[in-house]
Amino acid sequence: MLNEIEITVPLVSHGSAMQAKTVFDLDKAIDHIAHWLPAQGPIKDFIHHNTLHAVQHLPFHEGVALAGKMFGARSYLPMAHYQKMYRQGRIKDFAIGWALGRTGYSGKQLETIKQTLFEQDNLSHYSPVSLANHGIRNAWLIQLELELNVLVHPILFRLLGNFLDQGISRWTLPKEGECFWDCVMRLAQNSLLPLYPLQEPIVRELLSKESDHVIQICLEKIVGDSELYEQYLLEMLLAHPGWAGMVRIVEENPRSLLDPRKISLKELIAVELVCELAFLHKKKGVGFLSVASISLPKGTTLLKDGLPKPEVPLYLKVWHEAMEWSLHTELLAALKPQGITTPSAKVRPYVQAFFCIDDRECSLRRYLEQIDSGIETFGAAGFFGIDFLYQGLDDAYPVAQCPVIITPKHLIREVGQEAKPEGESKADAISHLHFKSHSVLRGWLYTQTLGLGYAARMAWDVFRPGSKLPKLKMLSEVDSHTQLHLLRENDTPTEDGYLLGFSYSEMADKVGGLLTNIGLTNHFSPLVVIVAHGSSSVNNPHFAAYDCGACSGKPGAPNARAFAWMANNEEVRKILYGRGIDIPGGTRFVAALHNTSRDEITYFDNHLLEQNPAEGLSDFQKTMETALQRNAHERCRWFELAPKSNSVNKAHDHVTARATSIFEPRPEYNHSNNLYCIVGRRKLTSDLFMDRRAFLHSYDPDKDAAGNIMVRILSAIIPVCGGINLEYLFSCIDNSVYGAGTKLPHNVIGLLGVANGVEGDLRTGLPQQMIEVHEPARLLIVAEQTCAILDKALANIGDLKEWLDNDWVRLVSCHPITKEQFLYNDGLWESINLPADLKTPTAVRSEDIFVGQTETIPVHQLIRSHS
Amino acid sequence: MNGLMLASLLLPLLGFLLIFLSPNKEKKIAAISFWCSHAMGVAIVSLVVLWVKNDFPNHEFEWFTLYAADDYKFPILLYFDRISAVYLGCVWAIFSIIVKYCLVYLHRESGYKRFFLTIFSFVFGLNLVILSGSIDILFAGWEIVGMSSFLLIAFYRHRVQPVRNSLRAYTVYRFCDIGLLLGSWMSHLLFHESQHFSQLANLFNHASFPPAGYGSLLLLSTLIIIGASGKSAQFPFCFWLPRAMEGPTPSSAIFYGALSVHLGVFLLLRTDPIWSYHYLTRFLVFMIGLLTVVIASVSEKTQSNIKGQIAYASITQVGFMFIELSLGLDTLVLVHFLGNAFLRCYQLLVSPSIVAHLLRLEGSADTDFYINSKAKFSFLPVSIRNTLPEVLQNTLYVFSLQEGNLELVIRALVWEPLKRMGVAINNTNPWVKALFGLAGAMLILFAFEGVGVDRKYLSIPIAVGMVFASLSAFGQQNKPVSVWNAITLSSILAGIAVLFINPLAKLDVAIFLSGIIPAWLLGIIVLHKLLKNQDPSESLFTYQAMAETQPRLSLLLFISFLCLVGFPISPAFLGEDLLLSHATSHDPWFALPITIAFIINGIAGARVFQRLCMGRPTEICTEHRIITNEIKQSFKETQPHTIQGRN
Repeated sequence: MLNEIEITVPLVSHGSAMQAKTVFDLDKAIDHIAHWLPAQGPIKDFIHHNTLHAVQHLPFHEGVALAGKMFGARSYLPMAHYQKMYRQGRIKDFAIGWALGRTGYSGKQLETIKQTLFEQDNLSHYSPVSLANHGIRNAWLIQLELELNVLVHPILFRLLGNFLDQGISRWTLPKEGECFWDCVMRLAQNSLLPLYPLQEPIVRELLSKESDHVIQICLEKIVGDSELYEQYLLEMLLAHPGWAGMVRIVEENPRSLLDPRKISLKELIAVELVCELAFLHKKKGVGFLSVASISLPKGTTLLKDGLPKPEVPLYLKVWHEAMEWSLHTELLAALKPQGITTPSAKVRPYVQAFFCIDDRECSLRRYLEQIDSGIETFGAAGFFGIDFLYQGLDDAYPVAQCPVIITPKHLIREVGQEAKPEGESKADAISHLHFKSHSVLRGWLYTQTLGLGYAARMAWDVFRPGSKLPKLKMLSEVDSHTQLHLLRENDTPTEDGYLLGFSYSEMADKVGGLLTNIGLTNHFSPLVVIVAHGSSSVNNPHFAAYDCGACSGKPGAPNARAFAWMANNEEVRKILYGRGIDIPGGTRFVAALHNTSRDEITYFDNHLLEQNPAEGLSDFQKTMETALQRNAHERCRWFELAPKSNSVNKAHDHVTARATSIFEPRPEYNHSNNLYCIVGRRKLTSDLFMDRRAFLHSYDPDKDAAGNIMVRILSAIIPVCGGINLEYLFSCIDNSVYGAGTKLPHNVIGLLGVANGVEGDLRTGLPQQMIEVHEPARLLIVAEQTCAILDKALANIGDLKEWLDNDWVRLVSCHPITKEQFLYNDGLWESINLPADLKTPTAVRSEDIFVGQTETIPVHQLIRSHS
Repeated sequence: MNGLMLASLLLPLLGFLLIFLSPNKEKKIAAISFWCSHAMGVAIVSLVVLWVKNDFPNHEFEWFTLYAADDYKFPILLYFDRISAVYLGCVWAIFSIIVKYCLVYLHRESGYKRFFLTIFSFVFGLNLVILSGSIDILFAGWEIVGMSSFLLIAFYRHRVQPVRNSLRAYTVYRFCDIGLLLGSWMSHLLFHESQHFSQLANLFNHASFPPAGYGSLLLLSTLIIIGASGKSAQFPFCFWLPRAMEGPTPSSAIFYGALSVHLGVFLLLRTDPIWSYHYLTRFLVFMIGLLTVVIASVSEKTQSNIKGQIAYASITQVGFMFIELSLGLDTLVLVHFLGNAFLRCYQLLVSPSIVAHLLRLEGSADTDFYINSKAKFSFLPVSIRNTLPEVLQNTLYVFSLQEGNLELVIRALVWEPLKRMGVAINNTNPWVKALFGLAGAMLILFAFEGVGVDRKYLSIPIAVGMVFASLSAFGQQNKPVSVWNAITLSSILAGIAVLFINPLAKLDVAIFLSGIIPAWLLGIIVLHKLLKNQDPSESLFTYQAMAETQPRLSLLLFISFLCLVGFPISPAFLGEDLLLSHATSHDPWFALPITIAFIINGIAGARVFQRLCMGRPTEICTEHRIITNEIKQSFKETQPHTIQGRN
């Protein structure tokens, strides 16, 4: 433990602190600072990532402690929470022992620590004294008795919001190609009305200068000591991390906006400093105290001496690890051979269904297989190996349909089969009539005449939520009378540099790649269903966070349709045959979309099926309906306001109503409680009840002697599943700093993000309504492969190894034959010895397990009834 | 009908009390809210039906007399007519929708109880305003609405922004209360017994015999108009409304979209006979409406956030209502009110859909917002922008961005001078202050002894002292105890001054002080307990978050604050009214300083309360650190064996 405390954290600012004595390097400082800003892009696509990417190069606990010290966030759950879990039996004694064993103490010391674990502690749930809240800048402001943030932020946020706005305000601020600084200067210098507070005489002189120069001057006046510049700037930006992070993202990737803008963090800093200087002059006169000239309170962190080295709170660390180990071993124990022989004489499956690895599909797959043993399911990342930009019929812009780490090169457009009737677009003619015009007088007239109608409409929406209104178009009702333009006709790229469609060999690459990944290269059944997923919700600005994470927060339907079309294509099959993948002529691929909030399914491209009917589809569809209903029933146990009856119909009605209610802030609980990720054959997990907590990726250990497939799989699941897991974890541990806080007061700003109220900072992370039932524990990846092959694979995953080496996710190797398990610990494999009395509970039906339960449930073994 | 009126009025109060007494359990609170809102709905609907059956009478009901002394009477008067019917109907519709909405929307929210408490008190205040039969009762309701607004804006008290914005809204409310408070006093003065709304119209029936002189009517009308435009966010107070959108979305919808923002219109409708009597005041209302429409519609163009845009759209429509009022189109106003209330309420409720609606087809509710693609940028203002010279374009944009500079102007004209004066007073040496006070008193004493001036002029320096005490309270926010003392001093000086003016008003002063003194004592005790552990050298400049660390004491402090500023739960409210209307009937000048003092006291108290009780608590002392250090020390000699591979 002491070792951990004493190690010196790599100094991010060290280099510049040395140089600062001679000259302050602004660009370098900005790069250091930007490292600490949240990396969440515009809200239209929600990409889960490690909230604490800034400290990912450190071991988990140290990184978390450092981040807490920087951002002022809690690092663990309150102690009482762990103690409660212990009393409930969710944290086991052997796990506490295991966690204590990893602290480095022994003997009597361990006993002392163990005793204090159960002491009462009411203070640890307050956020720590931190750089963001108690740094030099705040100390200085308190001495000045000046609320600079309150004065500057509203002005700065308005300017930023209007500059970056994607379509809410009616007048756009920037001119074509104008950058932020120029734009602000135009308003400040070339307007008859002064742009408050830039009319102050001291500031007026500065305005004509370059932003670099302005920053230097302002820092000299405000801070005074060049050693403190970088810290001051960092603290200034950490007072509004949301906007600062957004500006950085737009600066580095202008394409993340639909309507691109030219802005940089430097310009933001310049405008903010200028405003600060103006207010300082206005409120405190010319000779105001600079930061360097005040006496700092004792214990203030100074970055010039290196990053703070906070202690890892030992007891919370032990508790947290014990909790995680208790939960993780629930799965590990269940994966061991149970002695119960499952009937091995399996029928050849008549349907194979591909699902996304998403934890929400875990239970649906279980139900499908339980209801009909002729169904075999597979899991793969939900973009099904095909990365492209997609532009639907009604979409104004193409969007990427692949994980964020891949940059797609192909553009796919949806084309109508027949000409669409005019005027039948989302702008429903009548309901838009009264808002098409923005004229004041017309607004007056329409409010007078039509306003009353809204009473009825509002009452209808609130009192009869489940009933469908004609103008609500649901995901599941996506027009299927279209097709994707998939085949590339010529090789000239589009204006933006994309290839329009795929060639046959590219298609074969994509399809073959996925089939190899999941280990399905022969024994195809007559029907293969590709089930993508999406989620429908209303009144929900975070809608993208509910969709497929592997598709950058979009519904995966286009990918499923593309895959099915490609795999059905004779040309593609010919090429695949040459590569050893033999798809029989009678096999049909069918694309479908599972709506995870409503638990409904839509099948696509029916017109293609009419030409080539798929065998067994109607049986599958019936089974699917039953499975979806039971799935809805299982999900309802988390919803406190759901009907408590055992009727699956009622449960299904409830989840449907939920997704269409304008007053429902939780259409579903998405990835809440995600915990496991299992890479292996379905046989390993098909008899387990995992409480919708597992990401499941199919993988055949026998066909991957070199570990190359494992490399591909890990490269996808570590950032995607690990990102989801850590984003949930941190948003849950401190929802007001790492998360977006409660959804209820959120206000949509510029279609970029949400803020509290009209002049708040952008909120990053997940809102409270998404994480409130989450159990924050790190992801456990179980790979069904030998340690030796895994080592080969790990050597080739590049930077992602950082996640494993620093324990941001845990990896366990499960031997394909002996089922022996080894835990990856800093490059070594530790053998896992579970206590003998750790038994996995059993049950016959899923319903026996979850009915009446309102907390997370340990992994159960399902015993198939032999009928 | 009387019973039904009382039921509609008191059911929300009953709901409030039941929720207050119930444990903090969501299911129970949900059930109470549900039944109370429906019971109120039944009462309101049957009231309206009965009213229709009785052929639309203007019904007045005097429940009981709260206080009576010689010529002064404070009756609880209720009144029901066409305007009340429309407003009450709207309250019923929107309130029951919002309650149903919130029961699910606020599910699992930590402030569930607090939220329902506040909206029930809001509806109680609202119904009190709507059913009030005289300006006094209306003022009581007005205060309750203002206070619940203050609490709901600061619902998320952990963050500084909501807290600041709630103070902003409260300040505007309070400032405009000057209008209403003085207005209610003037109506006492002018109409004596006849300040019943039911009799207002009759008073003005005979054009040749106006009930009061033009001058005083003009003043009264202006005061009422100030009160109305503050509450309805009209010129020059437009700026607070968008910033008030800090609470949960449905609370913004009911307050600032639908009901609260139309109260100014209600006030003008109620007092229509008074101000429409004169063309000048009609013109004033017209101009306020017109200026609001212009400024708000221009400001709306550059709102890049959806709630701000709806807020300005709503302000614009209320501006139109003011114009319609000034033209005497009362029925049109009522229709317009209903339309605007429902529309804005709905728009705010579905405002989170805007992203999905504008960017994506799937799953979007139809929000009735336009699609803002470039092709549709063809309307008036844009075309102006394309033809105007750049300077004017920029100017227009800055004007719109800064929302007409209204906030800057108000700040510079009202807030800053008051604050500067307060700070100046606080910076003066206390001995100098005492000396000046004594000198002034001596001078007057000398004057009336020697020259024979009336004794009551002694009240002039006392009134000045009272205003100074208030300003002193206003000028500081870091020393809660002295703020509390200054507020109390100001109130006591008010009482003494009244005694000098009218020695017969002893009982009134006693009633007033019976509200103030206990509140002060309570406040001082609570503050003492709260600040016990505070490091005296540490500045109270930051928010202290005591509502979280010491919830009980904070609640007591809040009650003390309410009583001290004359909220209608304390005798001080009645006393305030008494001091104003009774004691100053002979010396009208005194009404102004006393009102100003009351208003400033309220703002100063609110500021201190916020500084102390709101904010986010931080780690005060980390117990782990202490424990870890202990362990470290106890094992100093024995180094633990190192773990492998960590570093």
